[in-house]
This record gives sequence, C-alpha cells and structure tokens, in this order.
Amino acid sequence: MSDLALHITELAKRYPTGVEALRGVSLQVEPGELFGLLGPNGAGKSTLIHCTTGLAQPTAGSIRVFGHDAIDHYADARQAVGLAPQEPNLDWFLTVAETLDYHAGYFGMPKRERRERTDELLETFSLTEKRDERTRTLSGGMKRRLILARAMMHRPRLLILDEPTAGVDVELRLELWHYVQKINQEGTTILLTTHYLEEAEQLCDRIAFIAEGRIVAEGTSAEVAARFDVSSLEDAYLALVGRKELSRSHVEVVP
Amino acid sequence: MSAAQIRFATLWRREVNRFMKIKKQTIGAPLLETFLYISVFGAALGSRIDKLHGIDYVVFVIPGLIMMAWSINAFTNNSSSILQQKFQGAIQDQLSSPASPLELLLAFSLGGFMRGLIVALLTFTAASFLVDLPVDHVLVLIPSLFLVGFFFSQLGVLIGVRAEQFDDVAFAQTFVLQPLIFLGGVFYSASLLPEPFQTLTHFNPIFYMINLVRYGFVGFSEVSIALSLLALTAATAALFAVNLRLFGDGYKLRA
Repeated sequence: MSDLALHITELAKRYPTGVEALRGVSLQVEPGELFGLLGPNGAGKSTLIHCTTGLAQPTAGSIRVFGHDAIDHYADARQAVGLAPQEPNLDWFLTVAETLDYHAGYFGMPKRERRERTDELLETFSLTEKRDERTRTLSGGMKRRLILARAMMHRPRLLILDEPTAGVDVELRLELWHYVQKINQEGTTILLTTHYLEEAEQLCDRIAFIAEGRIVAEGTSAEVAARFDVSSLEDAYLALVGRKELSRSHVEVVP
Repeated sequence: MSAAQIRFATLWRREVNRFMKIKKQTIGAPLLETFLYISVFGAALGSRIDKLHGIDYVVFVIPGLIMMAWSINAFTNNSSSILQQKFQGAIQDQLSSPASPLELLLAFSLGGFMRGLIVALLTFTAASFLVDLPVDHVLVLIPSLFLVGFFFSQLGVLIGVRAEQFDDVAFAQTFVLQPLIFLGGVFYSASLLPEPFQTLTHFNPIFYMINLVRYGFVGFSEVSIALSLLALTAATAALFAVNLRLFGDGYKLRA
C-alpha cells in the first residue's frame, strides 16, 4: 500500500461552522497516474486538496503520500507534493524569480540548484523577460503560469492542480495541458480538478466523482459513465448533479 | 546547510526582504518620527526642563524612545506581514511546505525583531551624535532590549494571526499599544505623577520595560531590575508558548 502516490482513507472534515465538507472519503491514486477529481462547486474537492497539502486539518481519517503520513508527521509527505491552487495566491512583494526561489527555499533546495531550476522554469513557462517584475503587475495568464511553475519548482512527485485553467484563454489552456501531459509522461503523478469534462476525459487515466463530501463513482471515464447508465462523462456528470435534461443527446438538431 | 536550515533561512529572508523593499516606510519613517521626538521633547522642550533624578531630560527620554522604536516596529511589522499574507493567500506557500510550526513562528517573529533592531540601532547612533548618551549597565541593557524586541515581535504575530481585517491591527496599535507606551513613562518619571496615576502606572507592563532599558543606559530605575527582568522573561516565554500553540493548531491559518 505504501507504493501508492496518494492513499486517502475515511477522510472527514467538519468545519467549525458545522459544515461537513468531507464524509469518509477514500481514494487511491497510483504512481504515474493522471487522476481527475470532478464534482460540482462545494462538493469537497478543494477541501480534500487542502487536507492533503496541510492547508486544512482533517477531522478524521488518514492521508498518505508515497507512504508518508500527511497529517501528523507531514514533512516527507509535503516535500513530495506540489500545489497549484485554484485562487491565485502570489506574494505581491516578490518578483517572478523570487517567487520561485523562495518557494524552493521553503522546501530546502540549495541556492545553486534553485537558481538553475528558476531559469529552467522561467524559460519553460515563457516568463524569462518578466523575471524581475513584481507578481502583482502580471496578467492573469502569466500569474497562472507562474503558479504552475512554482508548484513544479521543488520537483514534486505528486502535483495537485486545482482548476489550473479556470478563467484562462484557449491558447494558454492548451499550452498548460500540453505541459501537464508532458510532465505526467516523465513520471510525475497528477491529481487534477477541472470543470472541463471533455478534457478530463481525454487527459485522465482515471476519474472520481465527488458530491456532498463523498466519492460517488470512480474508474476510467467509460466506467464512470457506465455507473450512471450513460455513454459520456458529461452525461454522467449531469446525472450526478440531477440535470439530465441538459444532455446534448436531448438537443434537437434544427434542420 | 541542511534542508531545514535552508528552509528556515528562506522563511526569515522573506520577512526581512518584505520590509527592506519598502524601507522608506518601514525604516525611514519610524526613524524620522523618533528623531522628531528627540528634537521636540529633548532639544526644544528639554532645554526648559530641569534635570530628572539628576539626569539631563534629553538623556532621560532617549532610552525610552529607543525602546519605543524597537517595540512598535517589531509589533507593526509582524502583525502587518502576517495579515497581508493571509489576505493575499500567499501564506499558503509557507503553510504547505514541510516547515514546522516552530520554524514558521520563529521566522515570522524574527522579521519584526530585525526591523525593530535596525530602527533602534540607527536611533541610538543618531542620538549618540546629538547627546552624550551613556551605557551604564550593558549586561542589563542588551538582554532587556532583546527581550522587549522579542516580546513585541510575539505580540505582533499574535495580533496578525488573530486579525481578520486591517482595522484589527490598527485598533491594537492605536488604542492599546501606543497609549500603554506613552503612559509607561517614556517622557516622564512616574514619581512626578499625582495619585492615583502614579499607582496606576505600576500596572502598566511597559513601565517596567522602559525602566529596564533606562537603567541599562543611564543607571536609573524606579522599579526592581531583577524582578522586572524576571517578569519580562516570563511574559515573553508565555506569549511565545501561546503563539506556538496557535501555529500548531493552525488557528486562523489553516482551515
């Protein structure tokens, strides 16, 4: 079991307000997988991610990352995880290059390696010309690129992407997906949340649907669709949220 | 350097880098403010005030001003830095790293400590050019100043963590901290006050801090040095323990 990239068992999270965001979630992600976690807003996706990365404290259950406990003795688990959060959370006081350098420093990377890795990722994400600019001056698309570069900076074995393409233009979205596929092929395990179902269907090896804090379906996109007696992931999603009438198969073609 | 040392150095560097990037505001402005206090209360008014307990008025005032500079800057820096990072969400980058609560707390604390130290050192240097400022008890002065700096650094962290809006920080500074400092005897001797104000002053913890620092410089104190040092050490340790508990619990930092 310790070979799993992510092993979540009976994870529960109740906020002080009384909201139960996670109700006994169990999930297993194999090393090298590109795993999609899908569900409507408020289903518990971000809470699950926050529990895995230490930004939220679970009420019950366990999380292991490559065999390391991610809750109580979390140092090795966090070292293995890179997070690109849904909301841009860049430090306004830092420049683009400093953002990457400081992040790697928080993960204990030596100075020389930080410098080389910074140059490499700035080049990869077309940010070299912006390296000395403060992060608050960047466009939305550049901020997204920088957030992904930052998540990659310490060479995580498990990369968590929480809606990485929300609000970005088509060109950048495709660019980001290409990069995600590339690093996945190079061996990085990826846990992805997105509202772009077609892309999730194309990109992800396996998918889990989460609703009201519970995993309600899991498997390949075909298996998840079959679980809802439909033929596509989109229809399965519509069945999940109780909006089957919106299915494209119901749309009449106007002659 | 080990990974843990790199991590801590980076966390601390980020805090120092923040205030050095806006040094006109964080170093220049408080330095000017202290210089104006020395000019007005020391040189202008001081020339018309007789000696206090056998000490020139300007020399009597300067130790309190140095303590005030260190304490306010340590407090302001840490409370603002933490609250700003919470607002931006940038603090997630540190919180999701392998850093322990102790490493995070120390790094946040030492940022303000350093800023206070720089302003206090510059104030001392400038004051030394203006007046003949003695240092009578260096073995009391140095630990006293360091304890005062660390106490207010901790207080700044506590307020920053608890605060949900900038008003909370401003309230603590304007309506609690500054009155306590001003009424703690920076500009006067408590023995000159009529009752009940003289007695009330002895309930102000900052009164003891000012006396410790003043004793270190000019050898005069209105309170027991040993008892004050002991109380300050205990208060600083207690505040540190409270903060460490809050960081361990993730209070208002993690969901």
